[in-house]
Amino acid sequence: MATHKPQVFIDSAALEISWRDERRNLSELIFDTVRRAIDEGGAGMTGINSVVLAAHDLVDGRSLSSMVTAPAAGAYLRDEIRYGDDGAAAFAAAVVRIEAGEAERSIVAAWGRASEHDVDSVSRALFGPLFGTPLGLEELHVSAMRAQSWIQAGGQCDARAEAVARRRDAARANPRALRGAGSASQPSYPLAPDDLPRWADVVAAVIISSRPGGPRVTGMGQSSEPFAIGDRELAAMPGLARAAQQALAEANVAAGNLDVVEIDGLTLFDEALAAEAIGVAAKGEGLNTLARDRRVNPSGGSAAGYCAPAMGLARIVEATLHLQGRAGTNQVAGARRAMATGSSIVAAQTHTAIVLEGI
Amino acid sequence: MSGVAIVGVGQTTYRRSHPDMSSRELIWAASKEALDDAGLSIRDIDVVIAGVAPDALAGEASVERSGIMGIGKPYVRVNTGGVTGSSTFFAGASYIKAGRAKAVLVFALERMGQATTSQQVFNTIFDPVYEKDFPLTTITMAALRASMLMRLYGYTEQHWARIASRSYQNARRNPLAHLHLDVSPEDVLKSPLLAWPIHRYEACPMSEGACAMVLMAKDSIGARKPVWVQGYASTSDSYAMGDRIHRPEATLVDLLSLRLSAEKAYKEAGVTNPVKEIRVVELYSAFSSAEAMAYPALGLCKAEEGPRFVERQFTDPSLPAFNPSGGPQGANPVSATAMVRIAECALQVRGTAGDRQVDGVERAVATGQGGATQFSTVCVLGKNPVH
Repeated sequence: MATHKPQVFIDSAALEISWRDERRNLSELIFDTVRRAIDEGGAGMTGINSVVLAAHDLVDGRSLSSMVTAPAAGAYLRDEIRYGDDGAAAFAAAVVRIEAGEAERSIVAAWGRASEHDVDSVSRALFGPLFGTPLGLEELHVSAMRAQSWIQAGGQCDARAEAVARRRDAARANPRALRGAGSASQPSYPLAPDDLPRWADVVAAVIISSRPGGPRVTGMGQSSEPFAIGDRELAAMPGLARAAQQALAEANVAAGNLDVVEIDGLTLFDEALAAEAIGVAAKGEGLNTLARDRRVNPSGGSAAGYCAPAMGLARIVEATLHLQGRAGTNQVAGARRAMATGSSIVAAQTHTAIVLEGI
Repeated sequence: MSGVAIVGVGQTTYRRSHPDMSSRELIWAASKEALDDAGLSIRDIDVVIAGVAPDALAGEASVERSGIMGIGKPYVRVNTGGVTGSSTFFAGASYIKAGRAKAVLVFALERMGQATTSQQVFNTIFDPVYEKDFPLTTITMAALRASMLMRLYGYTEQHWARIASRSYQNARRNPLAHLHLDVSPEDVLKSPLLAWPIHRYEACPMSEGACAMVLMAKDSIGARKPVWVQGYASTSDSYAMGDRIHRPEATLVDLLSLRLSAEKAYKEAGVTNPVKEIRVVELYSAFSSAEAMAYPALGLCKAEEGPRFVERQFTDPSLPAFNPSGGPQGANPVSATAMVRIAECALQVRGTAGDRQVDGVERAVATGQGGATQFSTVCVLGKNPVH
């Protein structure tokens, strides 16, 4: 980053993953998590003059989600903007605001409540009303196509069972992971039930600031891919590769020197391809890396609970907690540098990569 | 920090629907015009920010994704309801001010012509448990405010009708406007009552279309003719309308969020006497009462002087010109409307607004208004950069 820009630090982070909590409505879930992030920051609302949100109307079941929910995220009489995009993209936008001198401290929050909507129906609606939706195409089908393309291109599946077991064990060890049922979709070949995300209600929140404190944002990258699935390179994630390269270059760090890599991938195979795109796995070795490299997704990834568009910010929260030494039973010892990624609709069409460095 | 200028503006025409164009084609039509205006291609753009408000209005989810441009570049979507267009513009400006981009393309798209009825959709923006079953829509919400303004400050139906008629007459000079109607104040009052005191000809239409702009960093402008972004601000208020009626800070019709935004944007822009220093005001006023609420919030008159301020507009040429484009009465593509306000101000400052050009525009102000009148934005544009 240019030296004249304010540096950006993460004061605090909070994440709650639950399922069908009948005691709290969506606004209350948001309020509780944002409040926790503010309290953990130790400075209250002092200096907070920006609120950046990520939420989808279709997921929230409200035609203008942030109208009712933004105040619960601390937006009252503050500069607030809502992205209909992934939480990591909202995080990047909040960082940009501080770098631009437009904000001093900012709340960033993202959420999705899978227990309140039909995830598969919403997914089908994303593909265009003339051709995609009538075909019944869903984002998980694209993940299946991606997995198949990757296998055909020489992707190694020898360690698949090991990767599944490690992801499941990591999620079990993660104190923030979904406890209880959640729900799941039907897998499409070659995906199996254990490869899929566990749908959950997810709220993530961080407080970022220009004042030195917690982990520093040292690199950011963003990129995009074509809308049409036929136009994409399915056996790779070139958009994520561009975003990650940009973030790593800005942070002046090599992928191999990252201590923690929290990847937002819808399925096990998406996580494997993402690991390759980021550069922590060699081409075709993504599943092997997920099986054996403890740096990658210590949270358990999408097995720990998943609902768009909160997941990029959820990954940032996990990375932050590792850098703060507060990740709990799944803590990566001595973590100093971390990357978190976020991908958005439609079927990982846009990507954000964030590099963080502990103080 | 880098200064930000508008160097390209593009708009489609605004109509009830564009059955001959896909969402992707509408986005591209406006964006291509903005890029051509700037003398740039999509390859020269560093970041693309898309603005689309409720998907439900289009009946299509994430329509902006199908229109993605500059593949490989950062591309994100903003959705802040009625202020989507201005929020999108501000998000793009932030990337330049932060030094993360030299040139940003922002666009906003509305496809509400595909909705069977916008008010049915707008009913679902309210709280699903307590308010959705109550017949609350954007029209009834505006009617509550209009009646409060009449009681507090003495506005009459005649004031609402004169404001609406003026906007319709202005829209006749704007070839992009959706409606080109010769509507008099009497015509407004004779039109069917939607929710007292709002008549059909006072309410904005449902419009489709797209608006795009190219923003550029000061040190990259070269020989282009810039319109400078002198100041901008956004403020969110409480959702609960009941909480805003009797609070100490301001009443429901004081538009506190717009006032706070104006104060901040004016400070950035160096505006100290807005009624003298601003020549054109493009308001996101979907109803006449929304325009009346904006006058004091923008520092143009005191609240109790509002009715007289409306009357003076027709006799005092020194006052700012309001909505020379016709404003939302002429076209209201919801996702894009707040961006259209900024685009129209840019054309006015640049002196390229055609038949709707106002003489001597050195500075113009665009507003955005959304949610339950809870999201407000103000953007000040001028011929000169702010130092």
